[in-house]
Amino acid sequence: MSEPEITKIEVGDGAAIPRPEDKGLVSAWWIALFGAIALLVFLPWYKPDPYLNILRFVPDGILVTFEVTVFSISLAIVIGLLTGLGRLSRNRFINLIASLYVEVVRGIPLLVQLFYIYYALGRFVRVPDLVAAVIAMAFCYGAYMGEVFRAGIKSIDSGQTEASLSLGFNHRQTMAYVILPQAWRTILPPVGNEFIALLKDTSLVSILAVADILRRGREYASESFNYFETYTMIALIYLLITLVLSKLISIMEHRLSHYERR
Amino acid sequence: MINKVLAALLLLAALCSPVAAETTIVFATDATWPPMEFVNDQKQVVGYSIDFMTAAGKEAGFKPVFKNTAWDGIFAGLASKKYDAIVSSVSITEERKKAMDFSEPYYTVRQALIVGKASTAKSLADLKGQKVGGQIGTTGYFAIKAVAGVEAKSYDEVGLAMEDLNVGRIAAVVCDDPVAANYAIDKYKDNLKIASVIETGEAENYGVAVNKGSAETLALIDKGIKAVKAKGLDKELKKKWIGQ
Repeated sequence: MSEPEITKIEVGDGAAIPRPEDKGLVSAWWIALFGAIALLVFLPWYKPDPYLNILRFVPDGILVTFEVTVFSISLAIVIGLLTGLGRLSRNRFINLIASLYVEVVRGIPLLVQLFYIYYALGRFVRVPDLVAAVIAMAFCYGAYMGEVFRAGIKSIDSGQTEASLSLGFNHRQTMAYVILPQAWRTILPPVGNEFIALLKDTSLVSILAVADILRRGREYASESFNYFETYTMIALIYLLITLVLSKLISIMEHRLSHYERR
Repeated sequence: MINKVLAALLLLAALCSPVAAETTIVFATDATWPPMEFVNDQKQVVGYSIDFMTAAGKEAGFKPVFKNTAWDGIFAGLASKKYDAIVSSVSITEERKKAMDFSEPYYTVRQALIVGKASTAKSLADLKGQKVGGQIGTTGYFAIKAVAGVEAKSYDEVGLAMEDLNVGRIAAVVCDDPVAANYAIDKYKDNLKIASVIETGEAENYGVAVNKGSAETLALIDKGIKAVKAKGLDKELKKKWIGQ
C-alpha cells in the first residue's frame, strides 16, 4: 500500500502538536504535562501562601483568556476563508483587496495592532474592551489564516477542478462541493496550530487592561511583591492549557484523517 | 607600547573609580505620572520628584541618576538590585514597608476620583456595578478594590486609564491628586472633571523606597530630603510643577 499524497502545510508558530509516529515528541509531551501538573499540585500544597492564593486569584482570568481565544479564532476562520478565496479569485479587484489586507496585517506587529484598534480607533468606534480585543486578534489572525486556506485550496490537484467543471458544475459549486471538503483536511493541522498560537498571543491583550490570566497574575504580583511565585504559576497554567489543547487537536486530526490511511 | 596601554588603563580606572566624594545613587522612576515624573517633549525625564531629588543630592552630596522603568515590576527591579532606590510617587503603606524601607516623606497626596463631565457621581459608592480604572499596583487602584460592588480595572499606565475614561469605556479613574489635576484640569479639561477627593483615613505620603538594609543610601537620601524641606525649596518646586 503506497502512502497517500497529502500536502502538509508547516506553520511553525504554534505549540508542538505531538504526532503519534513521532516518539521523541510524544515522550517530551508526557514529561512536560506531568511536570506541569506535579508543580501545580505540589507548590500550593507545600507553600499555600502564596501559591494557593495565586491559584485562587486567577481563575476568572482563565475564563477571559478562553473567551478571547474562542471568539477570535471563530472570527479569524471566517475572515481567513474569505481572504483565502479572495486571494485565489480571478476578479482582480477582490484579489487586490484580499492581498492588500494580508500584506498590511502581516507587516504590523500584533502588539501595535492591538494598541491601534483599542486606543487609536477607540476615539471613533466605542466598543467594549473584550470586543476590541477580539476584533484585533481576529483581524490579525485572519490574514495568517487566509494564507493557510489559500495553500490548502491550492494543494488540491487542478485536475479535480477541470473534471468538476467539465461535469457542468460552475466555479462556486466546484469550490463548495469538490475542493473545500477535501482542502479542509489539509487546512486543519495548521488551523489547530494557529489556535494554540492565538491562545498564547492573547496574553498580549493584558496591555489593554483585559483581565486575562496574565493581567490577573500581574495584579497579584503588584500587590504582594511575590513576582517569582506568581509568574511561575502563570507560566505553568499556560503550559498546561497549551499541552492539553495540542493533544486534543492531534486526536481530532487523527480522527479526521482516518479514511486517508485505509 | 605596554606603558601606553597601562597609562590608558590607569586613566580609565581613575575615571571610573568612586574617588570623587560624590556617591552616585541610581533612582528608578516610572515617568508616566505627570507632573511628578514624566518624559517631556525633549525625551528627558522631568517633574517634581526629579527636581526634588536633584536638589536633595546637592544638599546631601550625592549624584542622582534617574532610570525610566515601567511601574509594573519597578519593585521587583529594586529587589534584584537593578538600581539603588525608587523615586516614583510611591506612597508609604504598611504592605510596602514589609518588603522595603522608606525615606522621610517628601510629598503628601490624596486620592482623587475623576469622572466624565456629565457624570453626577461624587464617590466610589455611587459607581456600584460600573468599571473604575486605576494604575496597577497603586494606592488608587487599591482604593477602588476596597469598595465592594465596583469593578476595578487595572491599567499599565494611568494615561491609558484616562484615555479609556475619555472615550467612555469606564466610568471613573482613581489616582493621586496632582496627577488627577494634570489630566482633568489640563489635558482632558473638556471631557473630564475631578468629582471628589477620597478620604482614605490616614494621610498618604510619598517616600523614596530602598531595599531593606540599605542604611547608608537611606541616610544620604533622608539628609537631602530634610535639607530641601528646611530651606523651603519644596515650596518653590510645588509652585513650579503643581502650581499652588
